[in-house]
Amino acid sequence: MTDDRLCRHCLLTIGPRAMRRTVNGENCAFCCYGCCIAFQVKSGKSEEWEAAWLLIRLGVGGFLSMNIMLFSLLLYAGAFTGVDARLLPWVHLLLWIFATPALVVLGGPFLRETWLDGVQGRLRSSALIVVGVGAAYIYSAFAVIERGTHVYFDTATMVLMLFTVGRYLEAAGRARAARDLEPLLAAESECATVVSGGAETRRPVRDVKARMLVRVRPGERIPVDGVVTEGESHTDEAVITGESRQVAKSVGSPVIAGSINLDGPLLIQCSGAGTTTRWAQICRSVRDALVRRSPTQRIADRVVGVSVPIVLALGGLTMLYWAQWLPFERALLFGLAVLVVACPCAVGLAAPLATSLGIGRLARCGCLVRDPGVLEALARMRLLAFDKTGTLTSGRAHVVGIESDGAGTDEVIARAAGLERHSEHGLAHAVAVATAARGLKPVPTRDVRTVPGRGICGNAEGQPVAAGSGAFMRDLGWLLPPALAKQGRSREASGHSVVYVGWGGRVHAVLSLDDTPLPEARGTVEALRYRGLRVLLLTGDLPAAAQRIATAVGIETEDIRAGLAPEAKSVALDRHQQAYGIVAMVGDGLNDGPALARANVGIAVGSATDLARETAALVLPAGGLWMLPWAVDVARAVRMTILTNLMWAFGYNCIAVTLAMLGWLQPVLAAAVMAGSSIIVVLNSLRLERLPDPVPSAAPDQSAVESAPAMHTSSLPVIAGQAIP
Amino acid sequence: MAYYLMLFAAGFAGSFHCVGMCGGFACALGHDPHGHGATVLRHLLYNAGRLTTYCFLGGLAGTLGQVICTPQGMTVSLVGGSLDSAQRILAIVAGLLMIGMALQFFGLLQGFHRLASGFGSSTLAMSLRSLLTARGRAAPLAFGVFNGFLPCPLVYAFVAQAAGAAGALPGFLTMASFGLGTFPAMLMMGGVGHALAPAWRQRGVWFAGSCILLLGLITLGRGILPIAAHIAHGWPGGHPA
Repeated sequence: MTDDRLCRHCLLTIGPRAMRRTVNGENCAFCCYGCCIAFQVKSGKSEEWEAAWLLIRLGVGGFLSMNIMLFSLLLYAGAFTGVDARLLPWVHLLLWIFATPALVVLGGPFLRETWLDGVQGRLRSSALIVVGVGAAYIYSAFAVIERGTHVYFDTATMVLMLFTVGRYLEAAGRARAARDLEPLLAAESECATVVSGGAETRRPVRDVKARMLVRVRPGERIPVDGVVTEGESHTDEAVITGESRQVAKSVGSPVIAGSINLDGPLLIQCSGAGTTTRWAQICRSVRDALVRRSPTQRIADRVVGVSVPIVLALGGLTMLYWAQWLPFERALLFGLAVLVVACPCAVGLAAPLATSLGIGRLARCGCLVRDPGVLEALARMRLLAFDKTGTLTSGRAHVVGIESDGAGTDEVIARAAGLERHSEHGLAHAVAVATAARGLKPVPTRDVRTVPGRGICGNAEGQPVAAGSGAFMRDLGWLLPPALAKQGRSREASGHSVVYVGWGGRVHAVLSLDDTPLPEARGTVEALRYRGLRVLLLTGDLPAAAQRIATAVGIETEDIRAGLAPEAKSVALDRHQQAYGIVAMVGDGLNDGPALARANVGIAVGSATDLARETAALVLPAGGLWMLPWAVDVARAVRMTILTNLMWAFGYNCIAVTLAMLGWLQPVLAAAVMAGSSIIVVLNSLRLERLPDPVPSAAPDQSAVESAPAMHTSSLPVIAGQAIP
Repeated sequence: MAYYLMLFAAGFAGSFHCVGMCGGFACALGHDPHGHGATVLRHLLYNAGRLTTYCFLGGLAGTLGQVICTPQGMTVSLVGGSLDSAQRILAIVAGLLMIGMALQFFGLLQGFHRLASGFGSSTLAMSLRSLLTARGRAAPLAFGVFNGFLPCPLVYAFVAQAAGAAGALPGFLTMASFGLGTFPAMLMMGGVGHALAPAWRQRGVWFAGSCILLLGLITLGRGILPIAAHIAHGWPGGHPA
C-alpha cells in the first residue's frame, strides 16, 4: 500500500508539483522532478527504461549545454573577432542547433509543470523559468535569423541545466532527511514470510492474521507482534521503545513488530493481525504528522503564492525600464535575471524539510508527534505543567516508613508480608517489594481471611496476625497504643496510606506507604528549568502529598496547585495560558485527558493511543520522561532551523532581486545562486541530523544519586532508628 | 603548439592511470549487439561525452584564471607586471597540485587522495551505475558526460593547468589536448582492456605518475624560475588569446 500524500523519495508532502511514474511496476508519486530522477536512480532497476531515460536526458542536456557554454565562453573571450568575424553567424547558427534539443530535453519538465498549473489557474515558480528561458531563446533565434551580434542560447540552456541539477542534488539531500522515517513508515508496505503447510509465501503485512506462523531471517525487520516458537536470536527494539540495545529472544519470548532480528532465524506465531501492532499505529500517526503543514509553512506557502505574479511584474518592469537606456537585448537579460533569481523554491522548502527531520529524529527514539505545529509550540512554550500520579511518580505505592513501639522493623515487615502474600491489593505489592528489598522471608501464615476495604488477618507461628486500617484493628478488638494511633493519623493527614500491623491481640507497628517519585523525575525537572521553563505541578491529590513529591523532584512550593478536579486543571492551565502564551501539560493520559487536550501541547508518557485520540500531541515512550528535555531541544533546534532557512531564503531573494533589477547580476550567475540557495537550505536542515541522542544513563543516574537517597534517609532509616531505642 | 603536444602526450601517458577506473567503465560499455560499427559508435559517443566535460571544465577554469589574472578596474597596460606575477602564482599552485597528484600515484599522500575523491561522489556514482546498462543510443553519451565529472586526480591536475593558462581558449585547448590524449587508450580499452594483467596496469600507473610529476615540475618551474618565464611566453599558454 502506498500513500499518495507523501513523496516516495523524500517523504515530504506532495504539493501541486506532483509527478507520477511507474517504477519497478509500482505507481509512485513524487513531489518534484528532482525527486523523480533521484528515486529512479536510487531504486529503479537499470533494465527499466524509465529510470535511465531521465538520466540520459540530463546527460544529453549536459552535453549540449556544455558545448553551447564552451562556444559562448570563446565568444565572450573574443576568439571570433578580427579575421574570424565572418564565422560569427555560423557559430550562432551552430549554437541554435545545439540549443533547440537542449531546450526540449531540459525544459520539458518545467514546461509541463507550468502547463499543469496553468490549466488549474495557478502561477508557480516553474512559470518564471519558462517565461525567462523562453524569452531568451526566442530573442536569440530572431537574432540568428537577422544576423544580430549577440545570442543568449548559453543563458537559456545553462539556466535550465543549473535548475535541473540543483533539483536533483536537492532531492538527493532531502532523501537523507527521510532516512530516520523510513523504518517507521515501512510498517504498511512491509511483507512477511508466512509459513503454512511447509511452504513459505511472501504476503503483505495487512494480510497476516493472528496465529499465523511467520519466518524472520537475521537482519530482517520483524513484521508482526507475536511469540517465538522456534529459534534463538537477539533483537533491537529501538523503533518501538526508543532504546537501542540487544534483547535476547528464545522460544516463548514475545517479540514486537518493528524490531530488527539481529543474528538468528526466528519462527514467530502472530498474536494479532498485522495492522493492529503498535508499529503500524506509529506508522499511521507519523504519516499523518508528515502530511500536515505547520503554521509557519502555511504562511510561507501563502507568500510564495503571491510572490510569483509580483516577480513576473517586476521582471517586466525591469526590462521596460532598462529598455529606455540600453539596447533591448541587455534589458531583456536584466529582466531574465530578475525572473530566475526570484524563484521562491527555497522558501517552499524551508519548513517541511526541517520538521520532517525533527519528527524523524524524535520518532527514532520512540517519541511521536501529532503534527509539525506541535514542534513549533514545544519550542516556544514557557511553562510546563506536570500531573503528579503516574507522571512524576511511579503510580505504585512503596513502603516509605515503619513506626513501631519496640518490635523490630524486619519482624514487622516479615509478618506483614506473610499475610499480604495472600492478597491482590496494591498495598500488598508494596509490602512484598519492601520484603524482597531487605532480603527477608515472609513468615508462613495460615487461615488467611480478607475483609475487603479494611484489612487481612490470619495465623502465624501459633498466634493471630492482622494488617489493615485502624477501624479493622478496632473491629478485631486489638489494643492500639495511643502513640502509634497518633503517628498513624499524622501520616494520614500528610497524604500517606497507612497500614497497622499487629499480632497477639496488639498493634505493634504502623506502615506508611506512598507513591515515590520516579528516579528520573528530579533530573528531568532540573533539566527543564535549566532550559528556562517554569515547571508547575497540577494534582488532584492532597496539598501535603503534593508538597512532598514537589520537594523530592525539585518543584518550588509556589508552583504547586493541589486538590484540583480534572476540570479545575484545565482552568488553571487556561489562567497560565494568558500569562505565558503557550503552555504544555504532561500527564499519564489516563485521568487528565481534558487538561492534555486543553494545553497547547499535551504530552503523554507511554500510550500511543492518546495520539490517536488526539488528546496528546506528543507521546513519549513508556518510562521515557527523561527524554522530555531532549524533545524540547529537538523542537527548538527545528524551530531555529526553520527560522534561519526562512531568513536566508527571503533575505537572499530580496537582495538578489534588487541586484538583478539594478542589472548587476548575470542570469547564469543568478541561476547558479538560485540553485545553490535551495541546496543551502537542504544542508542547513540536514544539520539537524547531528543533534545529540538523548542520554539514557545521565538523567536517571544523576537523579538516583540526588533524589533516591534523599527519600530513604529522610524516611525509612531515620524512623526505623527512632523506633528502636 | 609544442605545449599542447606535450599536454597530449601527458594525457596519453596519464590515461594509463585511467585504465584502472574509467577503463573498467569503458569495458563495461562493451559490445553492441548491433554489430561492430555500433560498438565503435558507442565508444566514440562515450569518449565525446567525456571530452566535452573536460573541455567545458577547461574553458571554465581558463576563464576563472583570466578573471584572477586581470583584476577589474586596472587598465591592461598597467596589468602587464601584475598579470605576470598572478600567472606565476597560478602556475605554482597548478604545479604543486600536479606534483601532489603524481606522488599519490606512487602510493604516497593517501590523505590527498581521499580529499580528491571523497567529494560528494556517491550521487554521481549511483547515477553512473544506472546508466551503464541502460539501453538507448544516447546512453553512452550521457554516461561519458557524467564520467567526466567523476572525481579524478588526473583531471584535477589538468584543470589546474588550464586555470594557469589564464584564458578561455587556452584553457579549453589545454583540456582538449589532454582529453584527446586519453582517447587512444580509452578507445582501446573498449576492446582489450579486460585482457590486461594487473601488474601491467600497475606499471602503467607508475608511468603515468612519472609523466605527471615531470609536467608538474615544469609548471612549477614556470612559476618560480625567472628564465622560465620567458620560455612560458613562447607558449600560447603564456598569452591570453
